[in-house]
Amino acid sequence: MRAKIAILATVTLILQRALGMPGMPAWCGHFILPMIWIVAASLVRKERHWPYEALLLGLAWDLLFGPVVGPGGIAWTAACLSLYGLASVVADRSPRAWAAFGAVGAVVVILVQRLAVMPLGLASFLTFGQLVWSAALTGLWCGFVGMVLALDLGEHWRAYQVRKLR
Amino acid sequence: MSRTYVLRTVLVWTLLELLAALQVPAVGGGPVLFSWLRTLIEPVAMVARGSVDLAVDLGLGARGLQRAMVENRQMRIDLETLRARQMLLQADLAALREIGDFAGPDGEFGAGALVGRCTYRDLIAGTMEIRTARSFILAYDTPVVSAGGLVGRVMRSEGHRHWLQLLTHAAAAVAVQTDDSLVHGLALGTGSNALTIAYVPRQAELERGALLVTSGGDGIYPPGIPAARVTRVRESDEPFLEVTAVPTADLHSIRMVLILPKWAPAPSGGPP
Repeated sequence: MRAKIAILATVTLILQRALGMPGMPAWCGHFILPMIWIVAASLVRKERHWPYEALLLGLAWDLLFGPVVGPGGIAWTAACLSLYGLASVVADRSPRAWAAFGAVGAVVVILVQRLAVMPLGLASFLTFGQLVWSAALTGLWCGFVGMVLALDLGEHWRAYQVRKLR
Repeated sequence: MSRTYVLRTVLVWTLLELLAALQVPAVGGGPVLFSWLRTLIEPVAMVARGSVDLAVDLGLGARGLQRAMVENRQMRIDLETLRARQMLLQADLAALREIGDFAGPDGEFGAGALVGRCTYRDLIAGTMEIRTARSFILAYDTPVVSAGGLVGRVMRSEGHRHWLQLLTHAAAAVAVQTDDSLVHGLALGTGSNALTIAYVPRQAELERGALLVTSGGDGIYPPGIPAARVTRVRESDEPFLEVTAVPTADLHSIRMVLILPKWAPAPSGGPP
């Protein structure tokens, strides 16, 4: 199961890289696709431990997208811890909650990463619009995944196959 | 959220930030992490340097203070020494003036008189030790006077040091007379500050306060030197008056004396 999640997380990182390739629309860069993994961890996982997975995700993010390795780990673990705390006080697990968690996670990741690189002299320009765009698109992405999980398409597909075989 | 959870978060975040700082080059060269460390260490190093400088300055100050205190103490000692020497010199000067006044006008004392400094006295024993600047062998019975009057005679002489028999010595005797030479007597030492004037006839006109000078009749002392002042005159059954006197010279405080070698008697005798 862990290997499968690792492979899927790698796929999301590759897709994230692909979203920033030349020729893609500019707004595609506001997506934070790997956010789905820490949203899922906070909404689905029952047992909580320190988010080493988020740390690895953040370091991988830095390797692929950041100028230095380190601030991403801080940002992603901060986002995961924030979502853990939020999930402990929010009972909703609907796709709407997935979307909200994704938006909050995106905001935390972006802000914390800017804060982490600020002492290094690498802080880049950030507008409120960019932050809102990222939160919105990431929230849509997470809400979409949450809706797919809620619809349980796999179960419907298996039932369809059974009916077809009869 | 447990404390361990928070500590682990802080630790991991700190390590990640340090890792990032190690990768970013600073403006002056080297990673940003090194500049952070320099920024952290610089105040500590500055405080350490300041502390060392302060300690060195304090040490130098303490040493300078100690040296100044030693010098100050030495200067105080020197000052006190100079003051004492000045007092001694003033006393010597005053004594020399007295001696000069005493010996100057008198031609007889001016020739051959020697100045001596009193270095030790024993008024109970009736002796005194004096020193002269040059080495002399003074004759036995050489008379010694001071500004106040007669002091005594030389008993022993040895280079710079000379020992006197004061006129208050129990065995001393000086032939005296009044100023007008009408009354004669013999001043005998008593071992104290008083003198007994013996052989003063009952019919003599002698009053309390009368000055007695040497008559020269004893063959030792030159005539005319003030020797004693009468303090008491009493008649008795004896054929002579009981006369008591005190030396005119202040034997307690004299510092300088005048030795009169020319008046030394002929060396017919010697110390008994």
